[in-house]
Amino acid sequence: MYAFEVQKPADLDTAKRDFESADDGQYLAGGQTLIPVLKQRLAMPSTLIPLDGIADIAGISVEGDSITVGAMTRHAAVAADKDIAKAIPALSKLAGGIGDPHVRNRGTIGGSLANNDPAADYPAAVLGLGATVVTDRREIEADNFFKGMFETALQPGEIITAVRFPIPECAGYVKLPNPATRYALVGVMVSRSGSKVRVAVTGAAPSVFRATDMEAALTMNFSPDAISGTEVPADGLNSDMHASRDYRAHLVGVLARRAVAEALA
Amino acid sequence: MDTTPHKNRIGEAVRRVEDIRFLTGKGRYVDDVKLPNMVYAAMVRSPHAHADVKSIDASAALEIDGVLAVFTGADWKAAGYGPIPTKSAVKTFKDGSPLKEPPHHAMAIDRVRHAGEVVAVVVAETREIAREATEAVEVDYAPLPAVIGIKAALAPDAPQIWDIAPGNLCLDFELGNEEAQKKAFAAADHVVTLEMVNNRVTAVPIEPRGAVASYDKASDSYTLWNASQNIHANRDTIAEACLKIEKSKLHHIAPDVGGGFGAKNGVYPEPILVCHASKLVGRPVKWINDRGESFLSDTHGRDQISTVSLALDKDGTFRALRTETLGELGAYCATVGPFTPTGGSARTQGGPYKFDAIFYTAKAVFTNTALLDPYRGAGRPEASYQMDRIIDYAAANLGMDPQELRRKNLVPRDMLPMKTPMGLDVDSGDFPEVYKRLIAMTDRGGYEKRVKESAAKGLKRGFGVSAYLECTGGGPKEHAVVEFKDNGKVTLAVGSHSTGMGHETSFAQVLAGHLGIGMEDVEFRQADTDATPIGGGHGGSRGMEVGGSAVLQTARAVVAKGKEIAAHLFETSADKIEFEDGSFFEPGTNHTITIRDVIDASNDPDKLPDGLQPGCLNIGTTFERGIISIPNGAHAGEVEVDPETGVVKLVSYWVVDDFGTIVNPLLADGQVMGGVAQGVGQALMEEIVYDENGQLLTGSLMDYAMPRADDIPTMHLAFYEGAPTAKNLLGVKGAGEAGCVGAPPVVVNAVCDALKEYGVKHIDMPLTPEKVWRAIRAAGA
Repeated sequence: MYAFEVQKPADLDTAKRDFESADDGQYLAGGQTLIPVLKQRLAMPSTLIPLDGIADIAGISVEGDSITVGAMTRHAAVAADKDIAKAIPALSKLAGGIGDPHVRNRGTIGGSLANNDPAADYPAAVLGLGATVVTDRREIEADNFFKGMFETALQPGEIITAVRFPIPECAGYVKLPNPATRYALVGVMVSRSGSKVRVAVTGAAPSVFRATDMEAALTMNFSPDAISGTEVPADGLNSDMHASRDYRAHLVGVLARRAVAEALA
Repeated sequence: MDTTPHKNRIGEAVRRVEDIRFLTGKGRYVDDVKLPNMVYAAMVRSPHAHADVKSIDASAALEIDGVLAVFTGADWKAAGYGPIPTKSAVKTFKDGSPLKEPPHHAMAIDRVRHAGEVVAVVVAETREIAREATEAVEVDYAPLPAVIGIKAALAPDAPQIWDIAPGNLCLDFELGNEEAQKKAFAAADHVVTLEMVNNRVTAVPIEPRGAVASYDKASDSYTLWNASQNIHANRDTIAEACLKIEKSKLHHIAPDVGGGFGAKNGVYPEPILVCHASKLVGRPVKWINDRGESFLSDTHGRDQISTVSLALDKDGTFRALRTETLGELGAYCATVGPFTPTGGSARTQGGPYKFDAIFYTAKAVFTNTALLDPYRGAGRPEASYQMDRIIDYAAANLGMDPQELRRKNLVPRDMLPMKTPMGLDVDSGDFPEVYKRLIAMTDRGGYEKRVKESAAKGLKRGFGVSAYLECTGGGPKEHAVVEFKDNGKVTLAVGSHSTGMGHETSFAQVLAGHLGIGMEDVEFRQADTDATPIGGGHGGSRGMEVGGSAVLQTARAVVAKGKEIAAHLFETSADKIEFEDGSFFEPGTNHTITIRDVIDASNDPDKLPDGLQPGCLNIGTTFERGIISIPNGAHAGEVEVDPETGVVKLVSYWVVDDFGTIVNPLLADGQVMGGVAQGVGQALMEEIVYDENGQLLTGSLMDYAMPRADDIPTMHLAFYEGAPTAKNLLGVKGAGEAGCVGAPPVVVNAVCDALKEYGVKHIDMPLTPEKVWRAIRAAGA
């Protein structure tokens, strides 16, 4: 770890000022990616700006047909929340399957989305449920938020404050965890709201993406059989020592069918 | 768990006394050693697998505030230090010529031969400055082609790593009767052959390696705290071979050690380097490896490719076994590196099965990778895997029942004692009985129902078995010394050495039980070259077998001396005195005295007979075992395989072990469970991977998969105690490694059984989801 300064803002405005005044400021949400990266000396920010002192960007609330999760809400809190369990059980399951208990008690939804790790679970939830990312300056639709590997629509210094999930009729999330990290080798979130079907895939490609052919088939017939012949092309998928692109392409199909079955269960 | 009092406490499930200390952060590991004026060393490690070191420029590092010194291979060489020698028990080629041992200096002199090799050492006021300064040391490398993979290293056109080792060959080896094996093969109805890989793994102890060295100029001597498993032998090597000082000038201590598994057995470069660093800067120097460095620089294990051939008759009777192994050593000969794929893997060939002939050959090969040295079992897991895997493979190919093949071919009890075709002396055991008890535990009657339940979930269920033969004992000698103190406590120091196994409990249990004193009065002193004159450390599952026997022998010597004191007090002769339950007494009289009173008398000149001095009960004895003992047992497991994804879940596990006498069943259970988990990890997920340039791809826990608690099912364990060995005083056979000897073949056999309908007959470890999925696709194609 290289030396750095630490600021401890208690509100969003101070946090932004801290960021602007730093040479190379870095917000710290849950730290479950950033801290290991610092320990491995792979990053050397001049200033860390922890966001956990900012009270009004954590917590869960139900408003009509949506659920809003504050950016600094820990994964464990999402997994344990009764309203979420009732409204979007697939989201409870997803949050409860991130990492291990240590990660779930420190990691936050805002941190996970801002980082946009290609194998993280939350991007699949946000894209697969058609959520809206709320920041200190605007609202960003899920379809416009994820821009590539570790890239998002966030501008320098922009802070995610909350994520608003529309409550679907049904949804399912199934992942195959990497045995080493428990990140998703592949994870698929499927949801249906009226005639709208979303299939979001994480872990398989440089960034989370929607499997549009599957969505089309499931819009016609929301059942696992409807996508039994639908394949995701292996071209462009991730290939590494843990899983080849062919295997990942195969897993997308298997896990999507299982996610549909789970949504219907 | 049985907690009723046992005679001499042998067999009692005493809970581990050290755990409170460990679990509340009060363990004292090397990184807890903090000396006044202490400074820190950090290693500059080679990023290349194979390169000439053209020049090293440390000037920028030396300008950093707080940097005290930087030294390189040139400084090392100029100081006249010697290389780290190998202690391999196999020292010669088949033709009698000596093994090729290239000089293994503690740091690269002018060429690096694996990524992670130390090229310079930085010493600084803080750990952070030292680490930062390593990045300012400029090393000019001229990369050379790297040799990665055993078969590539043996290819005719492979680059040569060492001039003295043509073909990158360190050693070849053979054991057994080839003529008899060939004759048996020719006469047998079937010969089944399979090439199998024993994947490269590393121990990942929770405490990384580290050391603190303190040089004392006045006495020209060193004190070295070292996260080591073997301080006496390594003291001798570091002092005499490397630092070139008398061994009395090096006080070597391993305080609490957080796991070793073989990876802390050998002599490593860094502790020697910090000795030099301390002398150089005149202050104590600490170095602690980080996790990433550990993957690069800890020794690795296994990494063998073996061609195994089993000859059997059509009724299933085994005739002969032939194994041809290629084993990797890495860039140098580690402390016992060349022994593992040769003698170490040869000894238990054939397992507990009856053979007319066995023939084993091996080649030990250099590559541009980290060094290989013992890893829990060091050869016996390889042999067990080869044997129990070829049985299931033969059964699958010949349409036989693998469990019936095992049952039919186990050495019957009436053949014992025997010498195996590999020369092991098996004095005790009952392999068929152990096997029968194992199978009885596994609820075969309910299996079809479980298969259907799995099928209803879309999963394929499989059952796998192994029957293993072990050989344990490690270094043959061990010393145990007691000192009775005025405050009523007794200090026990043993040269054997815990890296977490529970010696503080089990050794105290043997001593306290035999003397009839409280275990809470025993203070255990962990490995220290000043505490015992000799010590065999930890390795080869020797703790209880050799160390425990030394404790018992010392306890008996205390009782014998105590009888002389009691006799003097009773005014009779020692041969009339008996000892039981903590009291000395003279049968037929009312003469009785507790050991506590005898201990007090032992420090009182007025109460001692002529010839005994105060402190006469402070006794140390050295126990020397005879032949290594032969634990054995059988494992079974059931798996569920998801054929769509290839994911394997181990769902049930059963073990019956013959470890002779069980001193503490709780601790023995722990050894088995940990060993099984380690073996399951190797079978399902663990693997060290280098790319073709020798870059380590599994350099962190993000890529090197370790088993977690939820990967391991509840284990059902039983001990067969009907055959204690006469090879040591306690009747024990080593328990420490057996778990990971038995487990890998069980997992692979069970998966192949689950997938037999697809025609899958073998998959090399680790059985990652993709590999299993591909095997299903390939077999079905």
